[in-house]
Amino acid sequence: MELEEMKSLWFNLSKEVEQQKILTDHLIIEMTKERINSKLNKIALPEMIGALVCFTGALFILVNFSKLDTWYFITCGVFTILYLILLPIVSLRSLFKMKNVSLDDTNYKQTLIKFSRNKKRYMMIQKSSIYFSLLLVFTAMPLAGKIINNKDIFFESNIWYIYLPIMLVFLFFFSRWGIKCVNNVTQSSEDLLKDLEKSSSSN
Amino acid sequence: MTKKQAFTEVIKENQGIIFKITSVYTNNKEDQQDLYQEIVYQLFKSYKTFKGNAKISTWMYRVALNTSITYLKKEKRGGVRIPIEKILTYKTEQEDTIIEDRIVLLHTKIKKLNIIEKGIILLYLEGKNYDEIAEITGFTNTNVGTRLSRIKEKLKTQILK
Repeated sequence: MELEEMKSLWFNLSKEVEQQKILTDHLIIEMTKERINSKLNKIALPEMIGALVCFTGALFILVNFSKLDTWYFITCGVFTILYLILLPIVSLRSLFKMKNVSLDDTNYKQTLIKFSRNKKRYMMIQKSSIYFSLLLVFTAMPLAGKIINNKDIFFESNIWYIYLPIMLVFLFFFSRWGIKCVNNVTQSSEDLLKDLEKSSSSN
Repeated sequence: MTKKQAFTEVIKENQGIIFKITSVYTNNKEDQQDLYQEIVYQLFKSYKTFKGNAKISTWMYRVALNTSITYLKKEKRGGVRIPIEKILTYKTEQEDTIIEDRIVLLHTKIKKLNIIEKGIILLYLEGKNYDEIAEITGFTNTNVGTRLSRIKEKLKTQILK
C-alpha cells in the first residue's frame, strides 16, 4: 500500500467520521466527571492494594518485634520490615512519576522521551524487587513461625527439606518469567530512547 | 458562552480526530473506549490553561497524542465507563466493501509501526504538512521527511511479506 493510497483511504474514513456527530454536551461532561471521580482507579489501584498489604505485614512484625529474641531473627525482622515499607513506596513513587508526565506543554517527542525514561526506571525497580523477593522468601517463613508459634524454624531441618526445594522451584520459574517480562519492556523503551536520541543528535 | 460550553463545542467539533487517534493506538473496542474517555478528560484539564497561542487543532493533536503514549492498559481495570459505544461504531456508509476492507488493512498496517512512526503517519494522513507535523511532534522538518520515507519503505516490505 502506497502512502498516497493510504492518504486517500484515510480521507474517505475522515469524511464518514465527520458526518456522524454523536457526542452531546451531556455525554462530554459525564465523561470528564467520571474521570475526575475515579482518579484513584486511574492511578494503579492494584499497586496501591499491594502496598497496603505490605504495610500491614510490616506493622504486624513491628508490633511483635519483641518476640524476636536472637540476632538472626532480629536481622530477618529488620530486613523484612524495610522491604515491606520501602519497596512499595519506591515503586508507587516511580509509577506516579511515570503517570505524571505533563501532556499539554510538551510535544510528542518530549513526552515519548520522558515517558520511556520513567518507564525504564519503573521496570528497573520491578526487577530489583524480584531479586529482593528471593531473599524475603528465606526470611518471611522463619519470622512467621517465630511470631505465630514461637518456633525456631532455623533449627528444624525437616521443614527446610520440604519448604526449600518447593520455594526454589517456584522462585526459579517465577523470577525467570518476571525478569523476562521486565527485560522485554525495558529493551523496547531503550530502543525507543536510542532512536529518539539519534534523531536529536542528527537535527 | 462559558468556558465549559466552549469546551464541549470544541470536543463536538473535533470528535472525529479523537476517534481516529484512538483507533490507531488501541487494539480493541474496550481499550479504545477507555482511551477516548481519557483523552476527553485530559483535554478538559488542559483547556483551562489553553491560552490560544497555538491553533486549537494543534493543541488537540498534541494532548491527544501525548495521552495515547502515556495510556496504560491496566488503568481500565475497575474504572466506570460512560456508555459511549455509539461513538465507536462509526461505519462507512459506502456500499463498497472493497474500500472498507482497504481501510481495515490500512489500520492493520499502521498498528504494525512503532510508536514514533504511528504519530507521524497519523498526522501525515490527517493532511498535515511537514511544518505542522514538526510543530506537533517536536521533530525537525528534515527528520519528519526522513521518517516518512522510512515508513514508506517499511510499508512496502510489509506488502512483500
